[in-house]
Amino acid sequence: MDKKRNQLYRTQIDQALATPKLQQALHQFGDTYLLARENAFAGLDFEALRTDISDMKDKVRDNLEHYLDEFCRNAEAAGATLYHAASAQQANDYIAQLAVTKGAKLVVKSKSMASEETHLNDALEKAGTRVLETDLGEWIIQLAGQRPSHMVMPAIHMFKEEIAELFGKETGQEEPAEIEHLVEVARQQLRQSYLDADIGITGANIAVAETGGIALVTNEGNARLTSTLPATHVVLVGIEKLVPTLEDAAKIVQVLPKNATGQLLTSYVTWIRGAVPSGDGTKDLHIVLLDNGRRTLAASPNCKAALNCIRCGACANVCPVYQTVGGHVFGHIYIGAIGIILTAFYHGLEHAAELVRACIGCRACVTVCPSKIDLESIILSLREQVGDAEGIGAGKALVFRKVMRNRKLFHSLIRAASLLQKPVTRGERTIRHLPLFFSSLTEWRTLPTVAEKPLRDLFDNLPQQVEQPRYKVALYGGCANDFIYPELGIDLVTVMNRLDIQVSYPKEQNCCGIPALYSGDKETAVEMAKQNIDALLKDDPDFVLTTCPTCTIALQRDFVEHLHDNPAWVDKARRLAAITVDAASFIVNQLQAADRFEGLPGPERVTYHDACHLKRGVGVWQEPRELIRATGAELVEMEHADRCCGFGGSYSFTSHPDISKNILNDKLKDIENSGADCVAMDCPGCLMQIRGGLEKQEKKTRAVHTIELLAERLKTKS
Amino acid sequence: MAESNLDLFIRVAEKASASVLQDCDTVFAATYISEHLTGTLLLPHSPSLQRLGIQDTLAQAGVNLVTGDVRQQAAAAGGGLTGANFGIADTGTIVLESTDEATRLASTLPEQHFVLLDPGKILVDGIAAVAPLRALHQRDARNFIAYITGPSRTADIERVLTIGVHGPKQLHILLLPGISDDPLEN
Ligand code: SF4
Repeated sequence: MDKKRNQLYRTQIDQALATPKLQQALHQFGDTYLLARENAFAGLDFEALRTDISDMKDKVRDNLEHYLDEFCRNAEAAGATLYHAASAQQANDYIAQLAVTKGAKLVVKSKSMASEETHLNDALEKAGTRVLETDLGEWIIQLAGQRPSHMVMPAIHMFKEEIAELFGKETGQEEPAEIEHLVEVARQQLRQSYLDADIGITGANIAVAETGGIALVTNEGNARLTSTLPATHVVLVGIEKLVPTLEDAAKIVQVLPKNATGQLLTSYVTWIRGAVPSGDGTKDLHIVLLDNGRRTLAASPNCKAALNCIRCGACANVCPVYQTVGGHVFGHIYIGAIGIILTAFYHGLEHAAELVRACIGCRACVTVCPSKIDLESIILSLREQVGDAEGIGAGKALVFRKVMRNRKLFHSLIRAASLLQKPVTRGERTIRHLPLFFSSLTEWRTLPTVAEKPLRDLFDNLPQQVEQPRYKVALYGGCANDFIYPELGIDLVTVMNRLDIQVSYPKEQNCCGIPALYSGDKETAVEMAKQNIDALLKDDPDFVLTTCPTCTIALQRDFVEHLHDNPAWVDKARRLAAITVDAASFIVNQLQAADRFEGLPGPERVTYHDACHLKRGVGVWQEPRELIRATGAELVEMEHADRCCGFGGSYSFTSHPDISKNILNDKLKDIENSGADCVAMDCPGCLMQIRGGLEKQEKKTRAVHTIELLAERLKTKS
Repeated sequence: MAESNLDLFIRVAEKASASVLQDCDTVFAATYISEHLTGTLLLPHSPSLQRLGIQDTLAQAGVNLVTGDVRQQAAAAGGGLTGANFGIADTGTIVLESTDEATRLASTLPEQHFVLLDPGKILVDGIAAVAPLRALHQRDARNFIAYITGPSRTADIERVLTIGVHGPKQLHILLLPGISDDPLEN
């Protein structure tokens, strides 16, 4: 790991966290955005629309040269000059040279992320041409000497007072900090430049192979002026913007504004093909087709889907990390989840090395992406690459490779930890304060202790009296259930026994490998997959139950992916995937036994927190709610029930504890505002985080696993 | 009963801050424009508008018209008047084929944009609009085709929606039945 780079990054995080105004603005934006988006898509089938776009973009990506040829042929026939830029440098050189040849003194630009990517403005200024950004947000940040912090709203991080000051410097007089007034100042200031400029530069949202034309999707009208008034028009467009036909383009136009800002359509969609009339002659139209890493991305087996991005910016809008630190920290030039990936390919892996770890893995972005990109998985695979290139840190490497792969060693070390922690636990089940340099870990949440006896040691002594077991069920505890919350496993047995299910606990099971995988050590993860498959399938159970959704994903999905090209293992991995189910779904769907909890003592006001991996990974959110309602408790929904709690495993311990703390505080506020006495969830990780936060803040609301809640009710009854 | 294309168009266009006037005739349109216009009016060539003879009606209503070489006077004009190829109901959009530079200037530079649209030329959505869009591409070798939805807007300062930044601050859509049934002309 690069120490200096890491330090700089840490400082940036601290600065961002010290700007609560920014956080508040981004949180608010996230809320209004989701509402507007929902209204914009009312009556439309988002899943169907995005499947369409994703399929179409797959086709283009896999036949890129074909569609590129078609586009170029048609554009040239319509009088455009085409230039293929392999790199940012080539694109900049071409455009700067053009400016020099034309003797251009002034270039007006409308918003183009591709030109941010290549740092085109610098290149033009160096060539002696003045560049003026005309998009309001871009102009603001140009005056401020900054870079965009959002791909659709570049100046989202700035406030009207700062903008008034910047504008005042331009106009030479004091400008009141009123938004409408400031917009008018921009109109007046920029107006003459469209008429004076020699060259207009735009990006393109879409390039249509069928016509050889481009489409610009905009609101302000500056792109229309930029492409109309100057005699020369340069379009800088990434080759991923290609679509085959006008129908395909129409589909993107239909979805893009709705998903970007919740608008039905932007004020303007402008279709431009070829050298159109201009003054007494025709426009000199240059189209610069930018590669700069795009072909490499298209060829990357694990990451290529990222090329399907239509740059709506939604993945940032809904991201809890983005909402906490903003795009200047959580991004390089491109920001948010897609930004991490594009940075790696367009600007180099080293610029993405910190960012790949900043993703907390909550998958909020995956559900809103109109191109159906599995951003989280791609970021994970990049994390592996960074892990391979830079190492994952000597400490971690030792733990994963030498310790976790050796189950007996791993488990005896955890047992030893249980003894070592004694001086700080004061005999309690949670640690409120840790000494010395560990103290920051318990500053904002208590931590559970490692249990004196893990579940595996307790299990055989549990009295299980089931006359006629309905199914043979094995419990996969995962580390948390086994070593931190063994009582959760015991509760599960209580509940299952009541439903005529006998539970076994295969002792050879090991950690699911996700911590290693998330840290970039895939090899260890694969080794753990094999150990677990053998352990869990040994007695041929009908089902394998889980209480932790991260483990569920590992068993249902990751093991199969790790071993898909290993003929000795793939069938076994598939078998395990097929019989793995989370406990709540098992009760509701397989056993259809929710009604068995009816009439139990209640009532309590319970709110439900959706664990990211359960809702967006496993696709389960209704079942636990059904069970809570069945117990007679009053279910009250909190705001943002499915927003991440900030846990993210090692994210909250080592990599980004400060961000984690902020996201947790958001969650605690939502819980408090719900007025519930109890918050239920189906993930030991969330439980650790939320229970720890509630305890530290001395809140009365208690946090429980849904299975604990059920067991509690059963016990009070009998 | 499902909402008609026309009703949907009006509802959504108004929501996007356009002013929509129904059942207009030439005289009403000219009067409306003269009452709302501040400054001169750019009038680029448009087949449907020419057939209407709106130029004379406007002149009679006292409107100060700029025709011919629009480029010189565009920046100083108060408004622009154009026809429309067709409308798109579900987004409240008017489609204006504006390859001719004067049409582009009239619809981008002035603060006011007046549009005369035949209410019979309203398609249901952007997907249905592809057929005429393609036909325009097939007819002309070079194109500049604008989908216009409400006046120009921005939310770049503190995400507050503000109308009228670089483009027109007002969009007036006047619906005149019977002026054109051809989506390839405006
Ligand atoms: S990755 Fe998806 S959500 Fe993010 S900007 Fe691209 S299209 Fe939008």
